Amino acid sequence: MTALAASLLTELIVAAVVVLGAFTLPARWRSPVSGLGSVVLSAVAATTGILAMTGIGGALSVRTTLAGALTFAPDRLGGLFMVIVSLVGVLASLYAMRSARGAETSRSGWAAWVVFLASMQLVPAAADMVSFLLAWELMTLCSVLLLATGHRLRSSVASATIWYLAMSQLSFFLVAAGFAVLAGVAGSTSFAAVAAIGSGSWQVDVAFVLLLVGFAAKAELVPLHVWVPRVLPEAPAPVAAAMSGAMVKVGVYGALLVCVRLLPAGPPWWGVLIMALGGASAVYGILQASVNSGLKVLLAYSTTENMGLVFLAVGAAVLLRGLDATAAADAALMSAVLLTISHALFKTTLFLAAGAIEHATDETNLDRLGGLLRRMPWTAAAFGIAALSAAALPITSGFVAEWTLLQSLIHGSRISGTPVAVIVSVAMPLGVAVVALTAGLALLTFVKAYGIAFLARPRSAEAATAVEAPLGMRVSLVAGAVAIILLGVLPGPAAQAVASAVFTNPAEVVRSAGLAGVSFPGIGVLLDPATLALIVALLAVPVLILVSIVSRRHRSRVSELPWGGGGSRARPRMQYTATSYAEPLVRVFDDVLKPSRDVQVTHLGESRYLIERVQIEQRMTDVFETRVYRPLLNVAERFGVLARHAQNGSIHRYLAYSFVALVIVLVVVAL
Amino acid sequence: MIGAAVLIALVQVMLFLFLAPLLVGVMRQVRSRLEGRVGSGIWQPWRDVRKLLRKAPVRARDSSWILSIGPLALLLSSLLLCVLLPLVGALDVPWISSDLFVIVSVMLLGVVALALVGLDAGTAFGGMGSSRHMTVAALVEPTVLLAVYALSIPAGTSSLSVIVGTRLHVPSEIISPVSVLALVALAIAIMAETSRLPIDNPSTHLELTMMHEAMLLEGSGRDLAWLEMGSWIKLTVLLGLLGNLTAPWGILTDVTIGSVLLGVAAITVKVLLLGVALSVGEVFLAKARLFRVPELLAGSFALALLAVTASYLVA
Amino acid sequence: MFDTTYPQAIGLCSGALLLTSVLMVWRHSLLASLRLLALQGLALAALVAVIGIKAADWELLLVALLVLVVKGGVLPWILARQSRATTRTIDESPRLNPTAALLAVAGLTVLSYVVLGRILASVTTVTAQAAPIGLSMVLIGFLLLLARRRARSQLIGFLLLDNGIATVAFLTSGGVPLFLELGISLDVLLVVVILYVFTGRMRTKFGGTDVDTLRELHD
Repeated sequence: MTALAASLLTELIVAAVVVLGAFTLPARWRSPVSGLGSVVLSAVAATTGILAMTGIGGALSVRTTLAGALTFAPDRLGGLFMVIVSLVGVLASLYAMRSARGAETSRSGWAAWVVFLASMQLVPAAADMVSFLLAWELMTLCSVLLLATGHRLRSSVASATIWYLAMSQLSFFLVAAGFAVLAGVAGSTSFAAVAAIGSGSWQVDVAFVLLLVGFAAKAELVPLHVWVPRVLPEAPAPVAAAMSGAMVKVGVYGALLVCVRLLPAGPPWWGVLIMALGGASAVYGILQASVNSGLKVLLAYSTTENMGLVFLAVGAAVLLRGLDATAAADAALMSAVLLTISHALFKTTLFLAAGAIEHATDETNLDRLGGLLRRMPWTAAAFGIAALSAAALPITSGFVAEWTLLQSLIHGSRISGTPVAVIVSVAMPLGVAVVALTAGLALLTFVKAYGIAFLARPRSAEAATAVEAPLGMRVSLVAGAVAIILLGVLPGPAAQAVASAVFTNPAEVVRSAGLAGVSFPGIGVLLDPATLALIVALLAVPVLILVSIVSRRHRSRVSELPWGGGGSRARPRMQYTATSYAEPLVRVFDDVLKPSRDVQVTHLGESRYLIERVQIEQRMTDVFETRVYRPLLNVAERFGVLARHAQNGSIHRYLAYSFVALVIVLVVVAL
Repeated sequence: MIGAAVLIALVQVMLFLFLAPLLVGVMRQVRSRLEGRVGSGIWQPWRDVRKLLRKAPVRARDSSWILSIGPLALLLSSLLLCVLLPLVGALDVPWISSDLFVIVSVMLLGVVALALVGLDAGTAFGGMGSSRHMTVAALVEPTVLLAVYALSIPAGTSSLSVIVGTRLHVPSEIISPVSVLALVALAIAIMAETSRLPIDNPSTHLELTMMHEAMLLEGSGRDLAWLEMGSWIKLTVLLGLLGNLTAPWGILTDVTIGSVLLGVAAITVKVLLLGVALSVGEVFLAKARLFRVPELLAGSFALALLAVTASYLVA
Repeated sequence: MFDTTYPQAIGLCSGALLLTSVLMVWRHSLLASLRLLALQGLALAALVAVIGIKAADWELLLVALLVLVVKGGVLPWILARQSRATTRTIDESPRLNPTAALLAVAGLTVLSYVVLGRILASVTTVTAQAAPIGLSMVLIGFLLLLARRRARSQLIGFLLLDNGIATVAFLTSGGVPLFLELGISLDVLLVVVILYVFTGRMRTKFGGTDVDTLRELHD
């Protein structure tokens, strides 16, 4: 047994012990012990992942009576995703230890959490389709259980759970069907056998499309994203963080598994398809995020955007590789992985911070928040750093990732001055435009989220009396923020480690340069954030000296409201809210978003000109839900009504059905 | 090489610290004269800054440290632009990257700082300005990056020093359709980024039309001084960049005393000329309605996309 | 000497053609569109002249002169003469959202690049590479015809379409014979004059040339 196999076995044993603990311990001890157990479990999984990334082989086979032998043997790529998923697991478990309330602290609640983490970590370790699908389904079911913990508190949880179940089952079905086709072609369910078949036949194309759509549903891409804005806001903060930070990454892993490991020589149109899917998701996701006022809804839609960018990068890599622009293709693939890691960190932090706000104010509607920076400084700092990363600004991990993506796109269309192909010269500029629009809207979204929630004056009594989250919850927030900054300032070593997991020739793709910056020798670009930070520090010295001299002479004064827009009665209610902040954007994208707006004007008495009251109600709806899913559901409902006639509760009729079915089967067999 | 780069960076920072208020003074003076007013002289912005630095800032009770740090962040981002952009000299030092994506994101850091300052005061005006400013910034981003893409094609890199250097050695690049289209698009984008007409009117305080000014309304004392200075420097360096892209002559590529002096003189002339042209143009322009602005930005986006497409059509 | 600047001259002329077409979609005012049309005629004439000089073909130079006179001078002048008096105040409200129209222009250009890229893949001459610009002008002309309300603004679209066809012809086949160009130019001139007279009559009779309102006459 190799070290890797031993580590995997340890992981399984730890998971079993923690689940056992969750069921047997008394309520007082359950949360701390199970939480600590989950942290240990994630740490072991992370170690396993790191071992796998070093490339030592090893497999753990578990014999089962039903499904045959389940084999877990993570390769380098799988190891990388194990590490990503486990790091999110550590942060979320630390937080959950302190934040769990109500049904979350029940026996089944903690057990589901542990199994959820363990199965997420096992999906990237799977070496054949059956174990992959088993871990995948286990992960989905546990997340449904975790989601349902809040169903007694809010009625909306039930509908969210149903949407989630339906979409996850669709995703599972598609993935299973895709794998089945591949297994049919390869004659075996092991990934190693599938990797040998190559592409070219139509069966492989069908399998690719099925798998892509299946994984896209898990990665929250348009048009299969409809569960996201319902589910993530309803889930408890650590669960939402784990789903958005880690579970979605398993979908990305699936896409990479197909495009990099199983079918590496895909034709260019695969790349175009992935890019289109990703680009549409990125723009639509961030557009919805920018106009929504619910903090968690906004974060949920922003997940769709980020995953869209990841898929855009993967698509660019497939397209460019198909046309032999290898250097740019490698950079694009690298950017996909960097985006994934960066998103895991900042979205976990953001969701946990949103949970801290909810903990303090019982409110996630931005329109009723405000002024939290003075009351919750730690949460504000962590949220701010994570928001910078989400808006892809320096010096955070998000900036490095998006910079890599842009560089790979602009260097992809030409090899030493000559255009690669017509399709590339159309796809790359459009890709740049999509990334740019997304980045711009993300900037607005996160300025809105941060500015409205944390700055200015509180817009409700709850926000005015908020207190900082307890230490146990703050630890994860701070750890996440520090990791984001570290990756943003010193991306070089991390990028090298990641490259060794993805490429066979990592030194040719990415190098560390300058003060731990990254450079891509293949396309000749270099980014050194640490030097930038150093220059800013040097520039800041004289400015700060000047400030300190001036401020000693002229101390600042505090006034109730210095100018107040010229009026002396400016109330907190008169501030801009999140809804009004996004209003210009809603107008610009009116045709895409189709908001429903209701304006009621009450006139004063008989006067036509004096107005007593204006009431405005604006609702943002998801176009895909109202235009695509509603009609489908209506059709389904009509079938349901029809089906009710077939099921009238008479035992004779049911027996007749069975009898007819049996006869039909026999006839078919006879033919 | 590193020493030369540090020297150039220092020269650029000092020069633009001095030049920015001067440029704004010149632009205001030109505008006043054209409108038949006497004007307050070209040194008035300098006097304003000196006055503001001597006043104590007044801050709202509910405001946070963002109100005092934000203006400094804006100033620092503008100063960082002075260091990174090829203004006086175009030396290609890889770690002090003049990579356009880096530069755009540094500029956006300043935009974000300003938008947060606008929100922090807790008044309707600040929020309004911040919201409009961010909307324009979001919509202008695709234009900027696509124009960058188009400009990067002949040089094969997105590093501005290399792009400017290529244009210096092959002047015919400048009048190629790709470059013309990209420059027009970039110019519109810069007008939007620096809140000039027709996107925003820098001299109005009418509530319906304000964008940039609305965010500064609650600023006072040194906070206001930093905000003004930061915005002025940003305008100046962007005009300098536009000048160097259209007419790269005079920019230095090797460091001697003579070439530094020449570079300083050349960029000063270019910036002031562009500034005068801008303020003359603004006399004849009216501010576009806020909801016509997206149309303008879509136009500039179309131009930028055409620039990239044209690079495949014509040499 | 001319061989080195030749590709750039072609590029500059075709770039100007494209830029003027985009600006025609962008600007709503009729007078501005007419001015752009004149500029476009100029650019087209310059393009023909450049090709003529390169091929050392005096006939092409004559065609260039003809294009200059007809498309750069006469047509815009005829259209502008009365417009100056009447349409200064008319605000053209297009049927297509201007933002969408501009994005559509960008899309159409990319489309024509893709299509002609397939067709002309084997031809690598400078002129053939620029040919998609002509096709995109044709498409943009069509778009203007669709998007504009007034008959007179639609005329601009028609002329842009004609310019586009001419551009494609010059860029792909090195020009058309002189008499053919003469015939086409005269045809276009005739069409414009007739339409012009018609719209003038219609305005004096019905007070406007909004095509949507004109349809009500039929009903």
